[in-house]
Amino acid sequence: MKLYEYIIRRLILLVFVLLAVSVLIFYLTRGFERGFAPWAPYINEKMTAEQIEEVIKAHGFDRPLHEQYFYWFRDVFNGEWGLTGTWGLGLPANRVFFNRFPRTVELAVFATILTISIGIPLGIISAVKNNKLPDHISRIIALAGYSTPSYWFGFLLQLVFFYYFSLWGLPNLPSSGAPSIATRITGLPILDGLLTGNLGFVWNEFVHLILPSISLSFISLGFLARIVRASMLEVLRQDYITMARSKGLRERVVIYRHALKNALIPAVTLTGIFFASLLGGAMITEYVFSWPGVGQAALLAVGQGDSNFILLYSLVFATIIVLANLAVDVAYAFLDPRIKY
Amino acid sequence: MQKDSEVRRGEWEARLADIKYMIHLFRKNPLVMTGTIISLFFIIVALLANFIVDPRLATTEGYTGGSYPFERKYMWSANHPIVWGPDIALHDGPEFFYLGTDGWGRDLLSMIILALPVDLYNAFIIVVVAALLGTTLGALAGYAGGIFDEAVLRITDVFFAFPGLVLALVFASMFGRSIETLQFAIILVWWPPYVRLMRGQVLSEKEKPYVEALKALGAGHLRVLFRHVMLNAIYPILVQATMDLGGVILTFSALMFLGFSPSKSLPELGNLAADGYNAIFSAPWVILFSGLTMLIISLAFNLVGDGLRDVLDPRLRR
Repeated sequence: MKLYEYIIRRLILLVFVLLAVSVLIFYLTRGFERGFAPWAPYINEKMTAEQIEEVIKAHGFDRPLHEQYFYWFRDVFNGEWGLTGTWGLGLPANRVFFNRFPRTVELAVFATILTISIGIPLGIISAVKNNKLPDHISRIIALAGYSTPSYWFGFLLQLVFFYYFSLWGLPNLPSSGAPSIATRITGLPILDGLLTGNLGFVWNEFVHLILPSISLSFISLGFLARIVRASMLEVLRQDYITMARSKGLRERVVIYRHALKNALIPAVTLTGIFFASLLGGAMITEYVFSWPGVGQAALLAVGQGDSNFILLYSLVFATIIVLANLAVDVAYAFLDPRIKY
Repeated sequence: MQKDSEVRRGEWEARLADIKYMIHLFRKNPLVMTGTIISLFFIIVALLANFIVDPRLATTEGYTGGSYPFERKYMWSANHPIVWGPDIALHDGPEFFYLGTDGWGRDLLSMIILALPVDLYNAFIIVVVAALLGTTLGALAGYAGGIFDEAVLRITDVFFAFPGLVLALVFASMFGRSIETLQFAIILVWWPPYVRLMRGQVLSEKEKPYVEALKALGAGHLRVLFRHVMLNAIYPILVQATMDLGGVILTFSALMFLGFSPSKSLPELGNLAADGYNAIFSAPWVILFSGLTMLIISLAFNLVGDGLRDVLDPRLRR
């Protein structure tokens, strides 16, 4: 199979995945009467009973579920994701989502940078000093990373860097929230701040990002370190490394110039998937740090049974994950010429 | 010619020697042994929890504000008059309470001990059901191939593309708040990786000569699959399941933490953490110790799983 055939096949599959996800979530959120009624965001107190009846009829809320699904589908096809009632007023779900999305992107970028810059060196040290003390230490850090309840670690950070630091009179980091946006050009707050020269805002935003990023990356850098270690060990056993060593190259050159390049291929995949999953919003971390991203929004929406927002969120997220997987597969084919699809 | 029983005995001896060698490797690794000892310790404490601590602490029965109403007291404070009520909520005095009290005025150490069986039992049930479901489906898909394989794979695709926690959250919030809903919600998210894992194993296993030999001897498909192929492919599943125990405890308590718990007074680590999160700066010990317990349990299972992988995978033994 050619690469482009593979890509097309996967894109067709994406359509089916999205259909399945939307049906599943639709039935789960509309099939049970939890939170507000699905038509609640569409009405207000000034409406008369007949007007409300009309609204319900127009959006098909009085129909059986499977018909409601087609109403929803038709609206989505016309670019209308419906109104959400989680934030009080009947706001369009997509507006809420895309207003919050840049903040999630920011957090994902910072957390990924932090993860890579700690996780990869940790993995290399582990592999080079295999089964010696540095390996054991890095193994413990890695395992502790993915054994830690994320909200708990977030809490520890808040307690130390915000509460105790301010008690001791040290410069402390903000524990939660984010500064309100001054100007909107590209949508990404830090980028906008830089563009308008509002350095105070950029610094403020950056400071707010530190703790959530640390919290997120601590959990995943362990995975990355373990993967890098495993693939590094695999590569170091290959003949070409023995060859490089027997040529008399220094160990440093063997590891960083010859082994590392090939050993990093699995790390690329993992980082890609990690970044994609963060784009979906790290719900718990955003919740703990009150970071106004999509993850926190989704959590609120789930609590309210807000089907329009949950549907939009799940579909966007599913698309991101599938495309990220595809991108990673394609990247694999470029990085490792032996792989064929 | 060798008799059948002799062949079988030889086989067993070889297998036994292999297991002995694995145990040797397992014991040589200090981290893995630490993990094993810690997890065994927690499992034993969980099994004995109701004898160590009065289980009525978990109910609202005793929440009177007066003196401790029960005859049986905490084992370690039998000589102290215990008061349990709102007036000693979030109290960290060392007089009676080793880790302080929670938001209801109950001894935190007792609550953590009472929470262990809840968390461990649920994690165990969830992992076992998810693993059984996933491996069976995966084995059948890998062995049968064709349309069935394709269908199973596409279903797992849907679940892989899904924000796992969101599905669990939606499920848990739609079906009402109960332990069973949470179990079901997490199983729903947790089975697909097992399908992939087992399917991959079976695909490589079924091409081996012994499968052909078995078929030539007249063994049926189900017998070949469940008695031979699956048993030979079980090691990675065991590793995955051990490590998942830790992950499931974290997920289960995270759902509880996010407010999907059936009752706020239920002794469960995530519940206790949520209780502590409300008093994060005034009584940090509540969330500190409940989270620390989660970390230690999960770390212990992960250490065991990590060690099992090194031991069970001959390529990593070295």
